[in-house]
Amino acid sequence: MIKKAVILAAGEGKRLRPFTETMPKVMLPIANKPLLEYVFDAVKKSGIEEIIVVVGYKKEVIMEHFKDYKNIKITYITQDRQLGTAHALLQVKKHIKDPFIVLAGDNIIDAASISKLIKDPSEYALLIKEHPHPSKYGVVIVENRNISRIVEKPKEDIGKYISTGIYKLPRSVFNDIERCTSEGAHALSSVIQSLIEKGKHINTLLAKSWMDVVYPWDLITVNEAMIQTTSEYTSGTIEKGVTIKGPVSIGKDTKIYAGCYIVGPAVIGDGCEIGPHACIFPSTSIGNNTVVHPFSEIRSSVIMDDVHIASSAHISHSIIGKGCIIGDNFSTISGKAIIEIDNEFKKLETPIGTMMGEDCIVESHVVVDPGKIIGRKCKISPMKQIRKNIPSETKVM
Amino acid sequence: MCGIIGYVGFREARTVLLESLKRLDYRGYDSAGVAIIDKKLSLYKEIGEIANVEKKIPPLKGTTGIGHTRWATHGGVTKENAHPHLSCNKKIAIVHNGIIENHIKLREGLKKKGHRFLSQTDSEVIAHLIDDVYKGNLEDALITAIKKIKGSYSIVAISQDEPEKIVGIRNESPLVIGVGDSENFLGSDITAFLKYTNRVMFLNDGELCVITPNAIQILDINKKPIKKKEELITWDVADAEKSGFPHFMLKEIYDQPDTIHHVLRGRISEMDETISFPEPVEKLLKSDINTIHIVACGTSFYAGLIGKYLIEQLTNIPVFTELASEYRYFGSRNESSLVIAITQSGETADTLAALREAQASGCKTLVITNVIGSTATRLADGYILQQSGPEIGVAATKTFTSQIMVLYLLSLKIALLQKKIGSDELYNNLFHLKALPRHVRDVLERSDDIITIAKELKDAKSVFFIGRGINYPLSLEGALKLKEISYIHAEGFAAGELKHGPFALLTKETPVVAIVTQDETYEKILANIGEIKARGSPVIAIAEDKDTDIENHADYVLRFPVSSHVLPSIAITVVLQLLAYHVADLRKCPIDKPRNLAKSVTVE
Repeated sequence: MIKKAVILAAGEGKRLRPFTETMPKVMLPIANKPLLEYVFDAVKKSGIEEIIVVVGYKKEVIMEHFKDYKNIKITYITQDRQLGTAHALLQVKKHIKDPFIVLAGDNIIDAASISKLIKDPSEYALLIKEHPHPSKYGVVIVENRNISRIVEKPKEDIGKYISTGIYKLPRSVFNDIERCTSEGAHALSSVIQSLIEKGKHINTLLAKSWMDVVYPWDLITVNEAMIQTTSEYTSGTIEKGVTIKGPVSIGKDTKIYAGCYIVGPAVIGDGCEIGPHACIFPSTSIGNNTVVHPFSEIRSSVIMDDVHIASSAHISHSIIGKGCIIGDNFSTISGKAIIEIDNEFKKLETPIGTMMGEDCIVESHVVVDPGKIIGRKCKISPMKQIRKNIPSETKVM
Repeated sequence: MCGIIGYVGFREARTVLLESLKRLDYRGYDSAGVAIIDKKLSLYKEIGEIANVEKKIPPLKGTTGIGHTRWATHGGVTKENAHPHLSCNKKIAIVHNGIIENHIKLREGLKKKGHRFLSQTDSEVIAHLIDDVYKGNLEDALITAIKKIKGSYSIVAISQDEPEKIVGIRNESPLVIGVGDSENFLGSDITAFLKYTNRVMFLNDGELCVITPNAIQILDINKKPIKKKEELITWDVADAEKSGFPHFMLKEIYDQPDTIHHVLRGRISEMDETISFPEPVEKLLKSDINTIHIVACGTSFYAGLIGKYLIEQLTNIPVFTELASEYRYFGSRNESSLVIAITQSGETADTLAALREAQASGCKTLVITNVIGSTATRLADGYILQQSGPEIGVAATKTFTSQIMVLYLLSLKIALLQKKIGSDELYNNLFHLKALPRHVRDVLERSDDIITIAKELKDAKSVFFIGRGINYPLSLEGALKLKEISYIHAEGFAAGELKHGPFALLTKETPVVAIVTQDETYEKILANIGEIKARGSPVIAIAEDKDTDIENHADYVLRFPVSSHVLPSIAITVVLQLLAYHVADLRKCPIDKPRNLAKSVTVE
């Protein structure tokens, strides 16, 4: 039985900037819990007894958060330079004696799929998943349940199954990694491809649910999916005349004032003040110490910690980073959008609002066009309409 | 957050247990205790630091024992509530980490059977439960007892009738076995016994272990043996506890954006425009107060000096901040004065003595502390918790900023009660208080600039810190931080006082750190900088982001953000802390444990 899991959590997540400027990608909040915690929970539930986490970029944020994570032994290994997944895995070589599994810390996976992988009798196995847009990922060509080829980001349509990057591997894989990295290949998929060429059989298993966070807007969809699974609890003070429908979690020391209308699934953190007369609609998570003033409406959004939202704001399908101060009558227009990111244009069919980095100060009556990314520490003057992406530390006068 | 240790072997258990408990002290503690079998089982426990227990233990030869450090988050800190706990016949002792959910029901049942309880803890039921079914075999009794318990736990037990055996069990709370030669250990974490062995076995939930000097047996709840492999610990365990930071002090400096929020949480309400404190505190503040005395020692005293400026500025009540060790003999007493004692640990002997003295003279007393259930909280008429979490680095950092925050809330509250400020001003203050964690994060991000300046300071023989008004106590704190961790001589002065003496000490090799805020003291401090420059001493200014003129006056500038003039002291403090830290780090000083200093000073 496999007892150890290696979780790769060293990466920065450049495509998720500005949100990853101050925290590693795996610590981005989904329903007020870091992504990585979902991975830990699933791994623990599947019967794994020890987790080895490869950390690097802003490792203190991870180690501090999981200091009191119960029930499972966690060992941290630092990867000083983020060269690639194979290189990251190589860092744990001396901690592994038996077969093990490896997972990415930024992909959400269910415990049952991991159990299936652990119990699989074959020496090598990979969890794969059918995907509507396979060309973004490593596409896996399967023959007789074994992999015949992995092609990273194929240009043409060659198959619908993609690699989740979750493998069961024997210890001998470290020798193969050393060989490949000395030849300059640092991605785990290249190592696997070389193993296939050497005639190894790599079994494939179908993952039940698997989700990836690549771009900022993925936070909204993953948040929507995972908020359904969180368990409901109520703490804090809820005044008379508050309407709550569906599963809504409310943290300690939070105050919900009269006249608020909250429809779950929704999660509200500790020490918040909401209302009076504010509306929170489904698939919204609100972090700790956040204030929402009267007559504001928030739906399908991720509001992080320490945010201050003044009255009559309309925030929909948006992400608001930690510590933002939002003036009154702020409005996110949500709709289909073509978003510029990493010098590429991505077309989004689902509605998208504003993606705003940490510590922005937005004055009253600001309107943001759909799918615009505002960097961290931006200052926006009153009455502005934001029509393009704004880089970090910019003043919009 | 409690620490557990168990030992069976050939060494004197007394020495091993105390040594291990000291290793666990980073988890924080408010009481500690050990139970040792030396023919008979004997128990020693005390509140306060581990040294208090040490003093009480006679030289025992016994080689089997268990120990515990407790950090109460709920419930009182008393000698009775400290671990270990004994059975009625005093033959069985246990230590426990975790929560027994059904302890009330269990306690009732045991009482009916004639068991006598000495403490209010949930843990004590375990000792009685084991005793209830004990028939000469400790592991059998533990298994039977555990089946009745609901909750999370790690438990270690010993029995006088089986002197060379310790048994332990875990469920959702950590327990690790340390493997030695002719001796073995059980600990809540590896740090506890790492000095003696780096060979360990990890227990899983529901697993029980029976440990003698020469054997380790691991069983499941049905007594079926489980095979376990030994593992070698090679990585530095302390690293994990510090969350990847090189020192606890740095980690605690980085904790501050959170700890500052914790002071505000549950106390301020933006919508209602209120500040609320526990009932006894509100009652104290509403009573007739004509003067306030703040008594404290060390860093807490400097927080008290800042408190004087804050309270006087907002309320017109005269405030006298006095060193606790002086006040107890010489301070003025007045029945309508409120004495505010500030002590992080709640156990500082000098401060407690001053508090008793104040009460004896009929003063109203209020305590600001970080430790619930500490002696200070039990003595005073009311107390306010800082909620900073345990601080391990000897140099106070996050607890200092939290104390300032509490004092600020207090001054706002008094001003509100006395109608010195209206709701508008209060709202404005509350709004800007919430921005402080963001300012701290901002300073933390600029630590590279601070490292550059630290390089300039690291070889100095002497460093002066100056400030005016509320920045004067900050200059004292800045100097204290530097001297206590880097061993460089440092002094803080009120900037206006330099020319009345200290000027004689200035040379070209005496850097001066000047705290410059753009308030009514701005022109004056610039003049002081000019005077210092005229004597050729290098000047490092700590100045606001918006201050564009300062470069023309000072040699080096460190910046801090301000959005309003609500408490810039917090961001400035963080600059001073990082400066002291990086100087000490460059000088390779033992930052978390400076020579000759202890975290909480419980002697006078």
